[in-house]
Amino acid sequence: MKIKVIEKFKAMEGRERKAYLSELLINNSLYIFLIATIILIQCLNPRFLSWPSIINIISLSAANLPIALGIAGAIILTGTDLSAGRIVGLVACVSAALLQSSNYAGKMFPNLDTLPIFVVFLIAIAIGALVGAINGFCTATFHLHPFIVTLSTQLIAYGALLLFLMIGNNNGQSLSGLDPTYTNFIKGSAISLGGTPIPNYVWYVLVITAIMWVVWNKTTFGKNMFAVGSNPDAANVSGVNVKRVIILVFMLAGLLYGVTGFIEAARIGSNSAATGLNYELDAIAACVIGGVSFVGGTGKIGGVILGVVLLRLIFVGLTFLGIDANMQYIIKGLIILIACAIDMRKYLVRR
Amino acid sequence: MKRRLFAILLALLLVSGSLTACGGRGNADVHVFYYTFSDTYVSSVRSTLDSQLTAAGLSYQDYDGNGNQTTQTEQIRTAITKGARALLVNIVNTGSDDAANEIVGLARDAGISLIFFNREVSDSVISSYDNCAFVGTRAEEAGLLQGEMVGEYLLEHYSDIDLNNDGVISYILFKGEEGNNEAIYRTKYSVEKANELLMAAGKKPLRFYDTSNSNGYLVDQNGQWSSAAANDYMNTVLASHNTTNGNMVELVICNNDSMAEGAVSALNAAGYNKGGTSTTIPVFGVDATEAAKTLIKDGKMVGTVQQDATGMAQALSLLTANALDDTKTLMDGTGDMAVDENVRKIRIPYAKYFG
Repeated sequence: MKIKVIEKFKAMEGRERKAYLSELLINNSLYIFLIATIILIQCLNPRFLSWPSIINIISLSAANLPIALGIAGAIILTGTDLSAGRIVGLVACVSAALLQSSNYAGKMFPNLDTLPIFVVFLIAIAIGALVGAINGFCTATFHLHPFIVTLSTQLIAYGALLLFLMIGNNNGQSLSGLDPTYTNFIKGSAISLGGTPIPNYVWYVLVITAIMWVVWNKTTFGKNMFAVGSNPDAANVSGVNVKRVIILVFMLAGLLYGVTGFIEAARIGSNSAATGLNYELDAIAACVIGGVSFVGGTGKIGGVILGVVLLRLIFVGLTFLGIDANMQYIIKGLIILIACAIDMRKYLVRR
Repeated sequence: MKRRLFAILLALLLVSGSLTACGGRGNADVHVFYYTFSDTYVSSVRSTLDSQLTAAGLSYQDYDGNGNQTTQTEQIRTAITKGARALLVNIVNTGSDDAANEIVGLARDAGISLIFFNREVSDSVISSYDNCAFVGTRAEEAGLLQGEMVGEYLLEHYSDIDLNNDGVISYILFKGEEGNNEAIYRTKYSVEKANELLMAAGKKPLRFYDTSNSNGYLVDQNGQWSSAAANDYMNTVLASHNTTNGNMVELVICNNDSMAEGAVSALNAAGYNKGGTSTTIPVFGVDATEAAKTLIKDGKMVGTVQQDATGMAQALSLLTANALDDTKTLMDGTGDMAVDENVRKIRIPYAKYFG
């Protein structure tokens, strides 16, 4: 395969070669940018590529990956999901409230024994999946754009979260004092690399990502999702139950937000109404950087991972370099814009 | 058929909704406007004030400005047209007087009392209308108290805290929000006051852990004073600054307790501040939330500055009762409180909290 490419390249004329090379550069510009960034930061601060730092980047990316994988599904359907962040917040607060240690003074439910972690996990993903199913149902049944549907459910989820925080003797306080078994389950570490512990949730996210890869690439549901995303009418004609696919995609997304919230609650250790705010924007940005196109029907798991890692790399890199926070907005904005422009260009060429 | 049924159901729902609104708190006398319901400290003021107003037999209605001044001003206009008799405003925009002046104008035209609280407005705004007052803290006080706590604690335990024995304490500071006066003052005065105490005792001033950062702080980019932001930063910083490298951050100062909690969580994950024999980095916050008090009790955090939510709610309900009583003036019965000279501003004192 590789040899063929080289032979083909050799057979090209000078001008053709130039075009081919520039095309190659543009199509892989994100990877090139990624590597250049890493080299640059490494030169300026040699601790950037030490084990603790690498594991920090991996764990920050892992924490942001499930929500991005969820939102990617919605984007593939030419939709979006504005409710993701608030669902994460709601689930995080519910998980935290149900898993506060029994001797914690400010416990929200003083009479509640600490529930088994697995039960709370099921509750967490159930809440996420429920809101997601509502998103999907309204989108599919009333033929509304997901932007509108999730704009509404985002408000509803936030309201529910504020109400929830006022329950019992909590009075809107942040929820912390989590049970050590819960925090250990998420933040504890079974394996260390170069002397730096890797938090357990990285492995959970790895498993989830693998499952999502299979769902996207090897199942009928995954194929149907891409079919509906690129052309719902054609999918309908060829016998795909479009409505069912839309509902399931949003439900799966909600489930992944539930996972994010469940991890986030223990990872941060303190949960308030601000938890999850704007998470969806970072997740959407990660998706589009990674080539999950708003045109619909295109996207790869690998792309989503690339997008998430790139955004975290910018955060960590600029913190390492001690660059003003204001610059981060500008740099992030430019990267999203350029990445999408390149992505769209690829798409147009293919057409 | 189905569609008609749906429409009828929807109409019924709306009618029943408006009916319950009439029977409920629709005609409250006191209207309370919070800058956002998501703020932990303001939430504790809200629940205390709610119960005090109920106990005083006053009808009230709470509003969530959701961090948006336009929303809040519209809510105030609506409340006045509904017949509000007193307005309690936790203003969103503290950057300039424009929003505050507009609200004062609305209250003056309606001839009702207006009490600003928690987030400060300038003296001229308060003085421009006779039935206007402010209840809050002195913004610089939290920072000064925090700096004092930091300075005193450092001097007491200097050799333990200076992990690499270089004679300088390296610190990290988490700022809650850009452009907010409380955040600016806390950031500025905590370090200044601590340095003042250190230098008076012949020690070197604090040094920001990263000399290339000229700001001397890391800020929550969403302006939410959130534990998540502090947690992400702290994790990232600990990746390059730790005891193994001999450049560990030796002191953590946070604008509020949420950020302190996030920092402690990251320190714990990296094996610090776990009690027992583990290395403990002193962490300081502001607010004295329940969570922070527990952390202090467990030895994971050193201290915080207590904001007195009950004291603020008491002062507010006293002024509200005055506002609704025609025989009294707004400031009756505030003689034993700390009131500014020449302007109707009641100051609720902060207190140091070491647990």
